[in-house]
Amino acid sequence: MLELKDIYGGYGKITILNGTSFKIPRASITTVIGPNGAGKSTVFKAIFGLLNIHSGQILLEGTDVTGRTPKQMIDAGVTYVPQGRNVVPQLSVYHNLELGGITARDQRKLRDRIEQVMDQFPMLREFRNRKAVELSGGQQKQLEVARALLLDPKLMLVDEPSIGLSPNLVKDVFRTLQDLRDQGVTILMVEQNAKSALAVSDYGLVLELGQARMHDEAAKLLADPRVGHLFLGGHIDEEETA
Amino acid sequence: MSEFFQLIVSGLSTGSIYALAAVGFTLLWQASQTINFAQGEFVMLPAFLVLALSVKLGFPLWLAMPLAIILAVLILGVLFKRLVVEPMIKHGTLPLVIATIALGVLLKEMVKEFYSPLGQPFPSLFPQDVVTIFGAVISIPDIANFVIAMGAIVALQLFLGGTRTGRSMQATAQNPDVAQILGVDIKRMVLYTFMINGALAAIASILITPIYLAKFSNGETLGLIAFIAAIVGGFNQIRGALVGGLLIGIIDNLSATYVSAEYRQALPLILLIVIILIRPQGLLGTSEGRTV
Repeated sequence: MLELKDIYGGYGKITILNGTSFKIPRASITTVIGPNGAGKSTVFKAIFGLLNIHSGQILLEGTDVTGRTPKQMIDAGVTYVPQGRNVVPQLSVYHNLELGGITARDQRKLRDRIEQVMDQFPMLREFRNRKAVELSGGQQKQLEVARALLLDPKLMLVDEPSIGLSPNLVKDVFRTLQDLRDQGVTILMVEQNAKSALAVSDYGLVLELGQARMHDEAAKLLADPRVGHLFLGGHIDEEETA
Repeated sequence: MSEFFQLIVSGLSTGSIYALAAVGFTLLWQASQTINFAQGEFVMLPAFLVLALSVKLGFPLWLAMPLAIILAVLILGVLFKRLVVEPMIKHGTLPLVIATIALGVLLKEMVKEFYSPLGQPFPSLFPQDVVTIFGAVISIPDIANFVIAMGAIVALQLFLGGTRTGRSMQATAQNPDVAQILGVDIKRMVLYTFMINGALAAIASILITPIYLAKFSNGETLGLIAFIAAIVGGFNQIRGALVGGLLIGIIDNLSATYVSAEYRQALPLILLIVIILIRPQGLLGTSEGRTV
């Protein structure tokens, strides 16, 4: 579904990704874990066209999408839910949703789609006329996820969905992502909260210093003592699995 | 009492024209962190475009005015963004502010040098008649100015809130990173903002210049008033800039009659000091409107 081939890239002259390579299958959840500064969020920005890629290739369903703009990535069926709060504060919930489909050509279809998404997230229908800034943190995150669904993406990039949410809300968000996976959406997620994220994922990917160090089924990674070791500050210097 | 009413009405009239400049000022700040200290000259210049087109080139007034607005949109909107803002904003807000100050001086001196250092009569769009309402004598240009200026601001608000492009512009101003990842063409939205500012400045120019004469130095006070009105209103919202503009218009008019014409120019500054002391976020502002 998505493949990164030996990506080098970063901000300005600073290189963050040092030959990142991995491949994820369709209709799966893959969680990227790794220490701070490993380049987890940077991988997402690279995929979504928000980063200078110096070399390497990104393939989406076999098509080379390296160096496309965010708009072109959206058109190709990719949506991105970044870390933190990402609503337009002074616009209503409904208009925030509508912005999620700003690139859609058929606006009538979009309106129907907004109704469907509000069926999926009844809270959004209830507060549709409220300003987004008046929602709680968890509600704003739901709005962001809902907004990313409007265009029926094939691939969703979700960065740290659990930050600032209560454990119950985190469960809700994870369950939503699993439902989406069951509907055929491919999800690539970054999570600080590695344990609970891997528990709901199909695959896990350990990123260190901008390179994929381990990539395996989530359950296997969860059981691997080296993963725990890595999060205590160690390095993986035994065999590299890609 | 009727004199007071008269002063309020004519204050609202000039105030609504100040508000046009202040709203544009606020829009530029929101969309691109541009503090435009040439805003006063932006209001001064279009009147000279009208004069150049009508007096020098012989266009009829009904054609010269819309042409001047279009030219203002291109020069004060598109060219300003391309030639001044884009190259300077890379170096930060302060270099850009200084560049706008320089631009203001340049525009002023150019008009003085190439058009005339003397005040030029400027035609009014409206008959200089008066109507009597509740015993108060109100001039027709005052009413017309108020209606047109407020109409422009209301139309702008409807556009920003009621159309998808308008809402994309709001998204760009309030959270550009989010706008970008949703696929909003943020560069184009910022360009629209600059073009709207050019149009607002041109409308303000055509309305306010008949009250004085068209003079190269007209922007000095106007720019200051637009700046103060925007700050008084809260700096980050259109409604605030509107209230700020109207307030300064009224205070300006009342003080000229009841206090002293000599202190007239000082009063907006006093208002600014008072507001900054007691309500630094501005009348309608929130303490920090921008989210990161």
